Amino acid sequence: MNISHEKLDNSLGKTLLNISSKLENILVGIGKLGAWLSLPLIAIIIFDIISRKFFVLGSTKLQEMEWHLHAALFLLALGYAYLKNSHVRIEVIREGFSTKLKAILEVIGVVLFILPYTGLIIWFGIDFVSRSYGMNEVSSALTGLSHRWVIKSFVPMGMAFLWLAGISVLLRNISYLIGLKNNNKALMDTSQSMAPELANATEILIKDVQVEENK
Amino acid sequence: MTIDFVTLLPIFMFLTLAVLLFSGFPVAFVLGGVGLGFGFLGIAFDVFSFIEFFNIVSRIWGGVCENLILVAVPMFIFMGTMLERSGVANDLLYCLQVLLRKVPGGLALSVTIMGTIMAATTGIIGASVVMMTLLALPVMLDRDYDPSLATGTIAASGTLGILIPPSIMLVIMADLLSISVGTLFLAAVIPGFLLAFIYTVYIYLRTKFNPKLAPPLPDDMGPKTRTELWKMIFKSFIPPIFLIMCVLGSIFAGIATPTEAAAVGALGSILLALFNKRLTKTVIKSVTERSALTCAMIFGIFIGATAFSYVFRSLGGDDLIHHFVESMGLGSWGILFFMMGMVFLLGFFFDWVEITLIVLPLFAPILATLDFGTHLDPTMVIPWVAVLIAVNLQTSFLTPPFGFALFYLKGVAPSSIKIQTIYKGIIPFVILQLVGLILIIVFPELVLWLPTKLLD
Repeated sequence: MNISHEKLDNSLGKTLLNISSKLENILVGIGKLGAWLSLPLIAIIIFDIISRKFFVLGSTKLQEMEWHLHAALFLLALGYAYLKNSHVRIEVIREGFSTKLKAILEVIGVVLFILPYTGLIIWFGIDFVSRSYGMNEVSSALTGLSHRWVIKSFVPMGMAFLWLAGISVLLRNISYLIGLKNNNKALMDTSQSMAPELANATEILIKDVQVEENK
Repeated sequence: MTIDFVTLLPIFMFLTLAVLLFSGFPVAFVLGGVGLGFGFLGIAFDVFSFIEFFNIVSRIWGGVCENLILVAVPMFIFMGTMLERSGVANDLLYCLQVLLRKVPGGLALSVTIMGTIMAATTGIIGASVVMMTLLALPVMLDRDYDPSLATGTIAASGTLGILIPPSIMLVIMADLLSISVGTLFLAAVIPGFLLAFIYTVYIYLRTKFNPKLAPPLPDDMGPKTRTELWKMIFKSFIPPIFLIMCVLGSIFAGIATPTEAAAVGALGSILLALFNKRLTKTVIKSVTERSALTCAMIFGIFIGATAFSYVFRSLGGDDLIHHFVESMGLGSWGILFFMMGMVFLLGFFFDWVEITLIVLPLFAPILATLDFGTHLDPTMVIPWVAVLIAVNLQTSFLTPPFGFALFYLKGVAPSSIKIQTIYKGIIPFVILQLVGLILIIVFPELVLWLPTKLLD
């Protein structure tokens, strides 16, 4: 998203939003790139079926490749999904909250839940990967894939993207709250337009389906 | 067993989770965060150690990543999203309407059949109810359908998807309960179609005796000539049905694993879109991105639930539940009904993703000990209970005043539709659901006949 700088007129808010949107662009790009993995995944499974039926190849390598791609696909999308507000929330009570309260809760949630939780998994995940690298781990199957550390490193990596997504969401919500405090409507509106988590959940669903239908 | 703060820690953990989930912060992260927090509490009370957090990473790796069965999930999601985004679902509904235009309640029947066929494609309940509502409700209201009947039909058919194979929920349930996906799919076939059948009979009879509820569609609707009609049937009715049949058939015949069948389904959905000349770059891009988001959502909760339940277990949560259930002295039937009651209550607030991933692992060890004597084959208890839970969950999603499918429906319906109208429309369906549920409890053969027959 492009931010028109002139109207915002709050240097701190502007900086936060800038960082937030730069992060978002990168993470969404990574997630969208990873999303394409579903196509090679389909291709590999189909190839596996055909080759097994007709040429009797050892397909352990292919099957391992299948879950490799599956893991990479969703791990790369974890942060992307948070930025797009695709992670399920229990809306029963939240629906009635004011936008201000939603923003405050989002800030608390990121600080208390996402950052420490993903941080810990990144910390031990790096350990997990380096053990695998250190012992040159290969598949437990005789004919499986080697270099297990490569795919294992997607665990801390995906979590790191989620951590960064948490920072991006944190910043855009803080900037909304700054705008609210300083009565700066432009800043509030820009922040809110960047933050699907501050919109009404059902409205997003409708918009989503309708946009697709119009295409 | 002594009761003190430390032994009760898992209970506080669960309560904390329940309360914090209602803050509306994403479930996946609340799960992880609460797991982490209670891990640290456990460290403070010397019942957990920091290095144990490493095991969570291994569990995530072994349970969620290095798991060939779960690869079926992204593939089914892809297939469903592609069928929806490429307009196949839309065409199918229109075709059904044309075919059923002379039958009483034809449009409502079309929606039910469409819900049954497109069940395959259901990800989460919220999204599928919204899709069905946007697709079908305006047409039904245009034709002067009774709003209660219209909304009831849509909510019931839109949620049927979690039950009718190939459903993603059944794949995940099978994985968590360590039974084969094929068995669970087969077990769910008859109950799923039984419910769809009860719905159609209800709609048919109700509209036959009270035609005002569902005015017939115009006779001249759809293609003018017989050839054109057949062309439409071949174009929009047969292909999706054929596709779903292929996917299920290859699993049931033992030709393909669920993962392979799902990939064939995904490829088939691409070919269908191509065949309908709707496979543009925009569609492909939107389908891959949408499926990646849905996958991230499901597996995000999977990862969070892994972290949560690891800590919960380390703190002695499993034993605590076991003791608790034992001390109630309920017997197998009592435990079953207790569990069903809990799942039903949880279904008021949570989608199946949360319930299966959080609650099912807690119940799994108890499930293995249940014994219903001669009521059913002891080896088939788990598939039977899994199907019961699935039907129960669907009923719960529909039950007023909370049933959250109803809220999604209300959210996207025109504002002229009052929530009372929806309640009034759904109550008959809830009763039908309960009838179905009781039938399955009393006659376990409904669930077990197909898997026993085909797998022996």
